[in-house]
Amino acid sequence: MRKNGRMPRALRDALLTAAVLAAAVGLSALLGRFTEEDTSVGFVFVLAVAFVSRWTEGYFWGIFSSFFGVVCVNYVFTYPYWEFNFTMTGYPLTFVTLLAVALMVSAMTTQIKRQERLRLETEREAMRADLLRAMSHDIRTPLTSIVGNTAAVLEDKGALSTEQKRALLRDVNEDAQWLIRMVENILSITRIRGGEERLATDYEAAEEIVGVAAGKFSKRFPQVAVSLEVPDEVLLVPMDATLIRQVVMNLLENAVIHGGAQHIRLRVERDGENACFIVRDDGRGIAREKLPTLFDADAGTPRGGADGKKNMGIGLSVCRTIVKAHGGSITAENPPDGGACFRFYLPLKEEKQLETEG
Amino acid sequence: MKLKDKVLIIEDEQSISNFISTILNANDYDTLTAAGGEEALSMITSHCPDIIILDLGLPDMDGLDILREVRSWSNLPVIVVSARTHEHDKVAALDMGADDYIEKPFGTSELLARIRTAIRHTRTPLTNGGIAQSGKFSVGGLTIDYDKHHVLVDGTDVHLTLNEFKIVALLGKYAGKVLTYDYMIREIWGPKAKADNQILRVNMANIRRKIEKNPAAPEYIFTEIGVGYRMRDEDE
Repeated sequence: MRKNGRMPRALRDALLTAAVLAAAVGLSALLGRFTEEDTSVGFVFVLAVAFVSRWTEGYFWGIFSSFFGVVCVNYVFTYPYWEFNFTMTGYPLTFVTLLAVALMVSAMTTQIKRQERLRLETEREAMRADLLRAMSHDIRTPLTSIVGNTAAVLEDKGALSTEQKRALLRDVNEDAQWLIRMVENILSITRIRGGEERLATDYEAAEEIVGVAAGKFSKRFPQVAVSLEVPDEVLLVPMDATLIRQVVMNLLENAVIHGGAQHIRLRVERDGENACFIVRDDGRGIAREKLPTLFDADAGTPRGGADGKKNMGIGLSVCRTIVKAHGGSITAENPPDGGACFRFYLPLKEEKQLETEG
Repeated sequence: MKLKDKVLIIEDEQSISNFISTILNANDYDTLTAAGGEEALSMITSHCPDIIILDLGLPDMDGLDILREVRSWSNLPVIVVSARTHEHDKVAALDMGADDYIEKPFGTSELLARIRTAIRHTRTPLTNGGIAQSGKFSVGGLTIDYDKHHVLVDGTDVHLTLNEFKIVALLGKYAGKVLTYDYMIREIWGPKAKADNQILRVNMANIRRKIEKNPAAPEYIFTEIGVGYRMRDEDE
C-alpha cells in the first residue's frame, strides 16, 4: 500500500557506504599530493570504516569497508603504488585495526539500536498497563452497583413499589451501558497490538467517519445538538475507521459527561498535510489543573469532581493512544469564549505512520 | 386471530437467547431456540421458521456454514449477530446472502426494527417490486427514475454522472439492505475492474454533495463503517 515510502534499507546502506568510501579515496588522493608520507592514509580509512559501521545496519558494510580500506591502502596509496605488497611492514596491523574498528563500532551501533527499541517497547507497555489498571479500577464501581441493585430486586419480598424497582433496574441498565462503552474502549486499545505492527488502515472519507460517530452519539444523547461541518474537498485519510470513530465518539461523550455541553460543533478541515478534526463544545471547559495531564491514563484517579462521574481521562487517553498510533497528534484547550475545544490531526499520507526507527 | 411470525434464535449463550425470546414473545412473535449448529439445521427443516437470528460464534459449527447451508435451498431471511471484533465476518455473511446484521451489544428496539424490515423484504419481492412496475424508487424527497436515468431531489434533477447514477440506482434497488463495498465495486465497475474502495468513497462523497443537505449527516444513503452503504428504507 505504501509505494512512495523510503528506499529499501539495503540499497540505502550500499549507497551510503559507497559515498563514504569515495570520500575517503578522494581525501587520500588529495593527501598524497601534498605529502610524501603515507601513514595518514591509514587513518583516513579508519575514520571511513568507523562512519560506515555507525550509519549502516548490521556488520556487513563495516567489514566490507575495512577490506576495501586494506586494499586501497596497500594497493593504491602506499609505495609501491598500484601493486600489492603483502610483505610491507605494518600491513597486518592496518588490516587488523580496520577490521577491529569495523566490528566494534558495528557492535556498539547494533546494541544502541536494540536498547532504543527496548526502551520504546517498555514505554508503550507501561502506557498500556496504566490504561488497563485505570480501566479495571473503574469497572468495579458499576459492577458493584449492578450486583447490588439486582439483588435488591431479586430478594424483595414485596416491600418495593413497582416504581422503586424500575428505578433500580434503570440504574442497572445505565451502568451496563457504561460498561459496554468501557469495553469498546478496551477493545480499541487491544486492536493496536504490539505497536511495531502497522494498523490495518484504509483510505476513508473523513466526513463518513464523523457522520457515523455523530449519528451514533445522537442516539445516545438526543438532547445534545451536534452541528457537523465538513469541507467541500473530499478528505481521504488513511485510518482504521473503527478506531477513529471511537476517538470522535469519546470526544463527543466527554463534552457531555464531563463538560455538561448542550451544543457541540464537530468539524473537519484540511490543515496542510493533515486532516484536522475539531470537537468544540459550550460546556464548562477543562479545569486548568487538569490540562497538562488530561490525556494521561491516571488523570481521573483523584475523581469525584462536581459531576462525580467515573472515568475522566480514560476515554481521552484512549483517544491519544489511537491518534498516536496513526502518526497524528491531539490537543485540548479552553477557547477564550468558553467551552472546551479538542483537536486531533491525522496525516493525509500514509508513510508518516508509526515509524519508530531512527 | 393473527398468525404470529416464527423466529428461530440460534445462539449458544443461554442468557442472551433468553432475553431475545422474552422480548420477541412480548412483541407478538413465536420463538424457537437452538444452542448449536446441528440442532439449528434440523429445526430449520422441521419447524420452517419465518426468520432466523444467527449468532456467528457457535461452539460446534461456524455460523457462516449454517448460512451457506440455508442459502443453498432457501431465501429465508437471516439476520446475523456479530461481535464487534469480527468485522470481516459481517462482510462475509452479507456477501454470503445474510439479509442484515446486528452488532452485539444491541438494543431491543434496534433488534425489533431489523426483524420487521427483514420479514417485510421477503414478503414484498426483494428486488423491489415497485421499481419493476413504475420504473421509479422514492424515499423522502428522493426519487430515482430508472427509465430516464434521473435522480430527483425535491423535484429537481441533481445531474449525477453515469457511475454516480449506477451507485444510487443499485442502492435504491436494494433499499434498506447493506451492500458491501466489494459487491458494489463488482456490480458497477465489473468483476475485473481495478476500482478500489477509494474510488467508491470519492464517488459517494460527490453523490452526497449533490443529494444530501449536509454530506456528513446523510438522510438517504447511510455509511456502515468497514462494511458498505445502505439506502434509506421507505418507512425509516
